Amino acid sequence: MKRMKSLFIMCFIFVMIFSLAACNSTSDKTASTKPASNGGGSKSGDVGTVNIGYTGPLSGPAAFYGKRTLNGISMAADEINSAGGFEVGGKKYKLNIVSLDDKYLPNEAGANAKRLMQENKTPIIFTPHSGGVFALQVFNQQDKFIIGAYTSEPKVSDVGNKLTVRIPPRYDGYLKPFTDYAMDKFGKKIAFLPTASQYGKDWSAKLKPYWEKQGGKVVYNSSIDFAKETDFFTIVTNALKEKPDVLFIGGASEPTAKVAKQARELGFKGGFIIMDQAKLDEMKKITGGYDALNGAIGVMPLVDSDEAAVPEYVKNYKAKYNEDPGSEAGLNYIGMYAFVEAMKAAGSVDDVEKIRANMQKGLDNLPDKAKVYNIPKIGEDGGFESKLVVAAVENGKIVPIQVK
Amino acid sequence: MEILIQQLFNGLTIGSVYALVALGLTLVYGILHIPNFAHGALYMMGGYVTLTMMTKFGLHYWIAIFVSIIVVGLIGVLMERLVFHPLREAPPIHDKIAAIGILLFLEAFAQKIWGADYQSMPTPYESVVQIFGLTITMQRLLIVIAAIVVMILLYLFLKKTYTGATIIAMSQNREGANLVGVNTNKVAMLTFMISGGLAAIASSLSAPINLVFPGMGQLVILKAFVIIILGGMGSIPGAIVGGYILGFSESLGATYISNDYKDIIAFVLLVIILTVKPTGLFSKGGH
Repeated sequence: MKRMKSLFIMCFIFVMIFSLAACNSTSDKTASTKPASNGGGSKSGDVGTVNIGYTGPLSGPAAFYGKRTLNGISMAADEINSAGGFEVGGKKYKLNIVSLDDKYLPNEAGANAKRLMQENKTPIIFTPHSGGVFALQVFNQQDKFIIGAYTSEPKVSDVGNKLTVRIPPRYDGYLKPFTDYAMDKFGKKIAFLPTASQYGKDWSAKLKPYWEKQGGKVVYNSSIDFAKETDFFTIVTNALKEKPDVLFIGGASEPTAKVAKQARELGFKGGFIIMDQAKLDEMKKITGGYDALNGAIGVMPLVDSDEAAVPEYVKNYKAKYNEDPGSEAGLNYIGMYAFVEAMKAAGSVDDVEKIRANMQKGLDNLPDKAKVYNIPKIGEDGGFESKLVVAAVENGKIVPIQVK
Repeated sequence: MEILIQQLFNGLTIGSVYALVALGLTLVYGILHIPNFAHGALYMMGGYVTLTMMTKFGLHYWIAIFVSIIVVGLIGVLMERLVFHPLREAPPIHDKIAAIGILLFLEAFAQKIWGADYQSMPTPYESVVQIFGLTITMQRLLIVIAAIVVMILLYLFLKKTYTGATIIAMSQNREGANLVGVNTNKVAMLTFMISGGLAAIASSLSAPINLVFPGMGQLVILKAFVIIILGGMGSIPGAIVGGYILGFSESLGATYISNDYKDIIAFVLLVIILTVKPTGLFSKGGH
């Protein structure tokens, strides 16, 4: 009897867990299939549907990041659909975003991509992490789909995969402007305190030789595991003991901001080099203003960008998702538009080689409203070659920094 | 020298948080012999409840903490009633599985209600104090002092009150306590209530120096388990001393040995202590 009872409780817990999980996926589904069903209602016979795949972290600690990247894609798709879809080869098409959760794990991303191909025949699959991109690159050329790679990891475009489109600029482009600015303003001694992720380590590995080549010195080289540390005071104290002029920090914006704030509390007066994963405007919310971040150099926040399309985009995004868009949303938004334009230019929605070959035309034909970043060109390696937009914080204000 | 004092203070801060979390864990273990893996989730719920009380209802920090203690305490009681109580005759493995189930449930629940993003808890004690080259923020000082006050109160409650004595009695011998007329159900619920309350205090105090997010419980729960093993499962002084040992070993180890190996230092310490005293520092002979 007791055993039955405990069995019942266990079942109950599992039912709760599964029903919760089910809630999640149904809400995602309705969100993503809505546009397509709208289209079906008006002219069901001659409107085709193009499924666009997405695999990214939609649960777990990186869920907010996954959501933001997905928001960018969905927003572009919704806009295209509500404008009546797009025409390829005389036929109207609408977009349908199919999103799957991979919990930030490369193996899950791979499984999701297989599923997306089999169930939805998605010509394009977006994924917002380098691990996922590497996993997909194993079979995307055989299975014929384009990876919409949202990662600034240069390696994803260096491996010679012909069907990978890297959306953000590669991060090694930031080394020079960041180093020049920080050395010029503050000095040659730097302490490394980035996140302990693979991405943070890759960044450190690139920044260190560059900084030393410019005559600088790395006085402290460590990393912080944001998933394990409750308090950063200890490590920041140790880094500051070496009297650095500049701190290299980075990772998700919010914990990075806490590191910066605690460094200031401990009396640090120098500058910050902020890895491109963290965004100045999101950090500001944690530090309570830009003053604590004076002397920081990082990626220009999208909301402060001077591109013509930005104000309208920020307004629409805010109305839809009730927060300021970051580059995660903005770049994926452009990415989605560029793919649609490339399909138009290619005259096909499923010949992926042709779509990839027409990506340059896709970028050329971008509608004005989609140009929230200036991306003139896609390189041979499949990376978007956008103009780097770098900003520094001076006297509590964002100042654009010209990249030479 | 300044660095040493600064790091001792840092170790004291983090050790206080660890000790508070470990106390809740060890109390439940001592009385019900359940390794409550969901304790980290209670810690997380405490952070969110305090934050919500402050931002949505505009309550003062202390009142918000008080509400949080009550709410999380009640979640603890609910957990005991709905899950652990019905499982009390089941094989011990069922408790463990159930605890992991609760952990997953609460984390998913928090993500559903509050979203997955990092949130920052404001505190009225932002100011920075410099004494003899030592940098202290008021919040950190508060953590250290509040932890000591809570420990003293808990000690007085357990040693000086009748209800507290029933908890001790039950941890020493459950059947014996039952025989002399202690209501074991009530004591079990009370223990979960206190355990939840301690988790809420720990997270509400430490959240302003870190962030509030669904996975925040995982920052401390693993360490809390190390602490109670080190201190002796179910031992209250063990949890306190173990918490400070771990806090100091992390901060001093990171400073004088290597930051990258500081977790290893804590575990080496655990190995050494368990080699010398296999049952932990303060274990009772009975178990």
